[in-house]
Amino acid sequence: MRRMWAICSKELQMYFYSPIAYVAFAFYVLLSSFFFYVSFVTAQPAIVDARYVVSNTTFVYLFIIPLLTMRLVADEFRQGTDELLLTSPAGIGEIVLGKYVAALVVQLALVAISLIYPLIMSAFGTLDQPIMWLSYLSMFLLGAAMMAIGLFASCLTNNQMVAGIAGFVILLVLWLLDWLGDSFGGKLKDWVTQFSLNSHTANLQKGILHGGDIVYYATLTAVFLILGMQVLERKRWR
Amino acid sequence: MLEVKQVSKLYENQRGVHNIDFTMQRGEIVGFLGPNGAGKTTTMRMITGYLNPTRGQIYVDGLSMADHPKKARRKIGYLPETPPLYPEMSVQAYLRFIANLRDIPAREQKLRVGAVIEKLGLQGRERQVIRGLSKGYRQRLGLAQSILHEPDLLILDEPTSGLDPKQIIEIRQLIRELGEKHTVLLSTHILPEINALCNRVLIINQGRVVLDERPEHLSRAMGETFEVSLEVRGPRERVLAELRSVDAVAAVRDLSGDTPAQAIAGGAAAAPPDPAALADAADPAAAAEPAASGDIVRVRVTAADGADIREALFFRLANAQLPILEMRRESASLEDIFLKLTTDEPSAEPQPSADPQPADEETEVDADA
Repeated sequence: MRRMWAICSKELQMYFYSPIAYVAFAFYVLLSSFFFYVSFVTAQPAIVDARYVVSNTTFVYLFIIPLLTMRLVADEFRQGTDELLLTSPAGIGEIVLGKYVAALVVQLALVAISLIYPLIMSAFGTLDQPIMWLSYLSMFLLGAAMMAIGLFASCLTNNQMVAGIAGFVILLVLWLLDWLGDSFGGKLKDWVTQFSLNSHTANLQKGILHGGDIVYYATLTAVFLILGMQVLERKRWR
Repeated sequence: MLEVKQVSKLYENQRGVHNIDFTMQRGEIVGFLGPNGAGKTTTMRMITGYLNPTRGQIYVDGLSMADHPKKARRKIGYLPETPPLYPEMSVQAYLRFIANLRDIPAREQKLRVGAVIEKLGLQGRERQVIRGLSKGYRQRLGLAQSILHEPDLLILDEPTSGLDPKQIIEIRQLIRELGEKHTVLLSTHILPEINALCNRVLIINQGRVVLDERPEHLSRAMGETFEVSLEVRGPRERVLAELRSVDAVAAVRDLSGDTPAQAIAGGAAAAPPDPAALADAADPAAAAEPAASGDIVRVRVTAADGADIREALFFRLANAQLPILEMRRESASLEDIFLKLTTDEPSAEPQPSADPQPADEETEVDADA
């Protein structure tokens, strides 16, 4: 537990040292604020609703989460510090989980930052509190699963850029499954869209807490974390 | 302490290591020697658990690396070839992270971190960011990392590379101190380091252990003959004739007619262009060209059946009124043995140092390391 915490706090420190994290945060705040401005301030909607925030913000995740996770494992390989971690008493599970928990903290920060928009909106009318909080839960769950995918991509290579691009591509494919399903239509559509990253936020954003959605994100996260551990374990057998 | 049992790591391209088998006792300092690509780093990585062996078993203090990897790894300190540092962190933060990673109890951490900082001369740099440290300090910090948890077994991959001579001496002193309590396995390509530090040497070539011996027993293990080099004042022919007439002498080789001063100067000056001088740095006279001047004769005398002939030579030359200016026992240097074992040719040549060709190739390979 202490080892996992050591790795986690080290990763958090690294986020503060690395310029990429600041760029990603700045990009995130800028873009999501711009979307908020366009959809709320410029468009002057008749209602106050968290939906103006959530769908746009989660779209920005597609770009910044690969940026935030690409460093996690790839940089260890590049610096040769994987030799330190893999020869320490820490197991591979602890290493990957430690890194993932750090990513989760960052994800929490991302979600927390965008709480400023409901704050602004509440000045213009009453927000439906349960819907707002469930929307934010959906943002967090979606981001958490995306972080796990980014972490997995980072395990694949010793080059940050490659890790970032690989993470982006995996996320994009999962994101676009919705559209892919639309083009099939019928039974196949129902089947394919179940795997879409985005579609499982719909219920939560309507204020429906559906167990299936949460299980989906939890499973997705677990699958990619386990895949990441397997990739690292395989390194020992090279 | 450490048992490596028939360990192999096979790669598709036939490289890797084959059936490495050795054990180490507590308190031993073992030098691991070999040309580039011989498998030193691979072997060390298998011992530390970074790589799993394809075949074979590794036991650390009786714990199998395969069955109890976490427990076994706790007993090992490892300094890889490049010190595993995070350039963004400060020295203090880095060591704190290592302490947590290595399960050092919180109340001991401050003490231990302070102790290694002092031991490795890192005082005053605790708050410095690692990126700004020089190569020597990075190496020290790497070493600090490996001893922070007071491991029983210390694996050091080229611990003195990139250090200045003063730091090398300090690090060697440190390793010697560590060797009193811990078991140390270190790889190096600096041969004198083995003589200076280790009480056992393992030479590995093309993935196989070719020699496992104490450094001082090396020449005997290699079946070396007893050789003496002499510097005698007197007419050449008389000296040679006197020496050849000694019963126990098998061969006398005239090295040069140079005065010692010239010989040393010649040896040093000839070193860069002359490839033989690299291998022969210990024996400058051999590299110098013979010049037929002066009445100082330098010879190398080989004894028959390895007997000590120094006294016999002394009395013979003293009786003949030929003063001996210098007499030195020549033992095969570690360089010679290393070259002999790691060149592919069978060691038909009795004195590898006399033959510049294979010596040249291997020395350059070694110098690249």
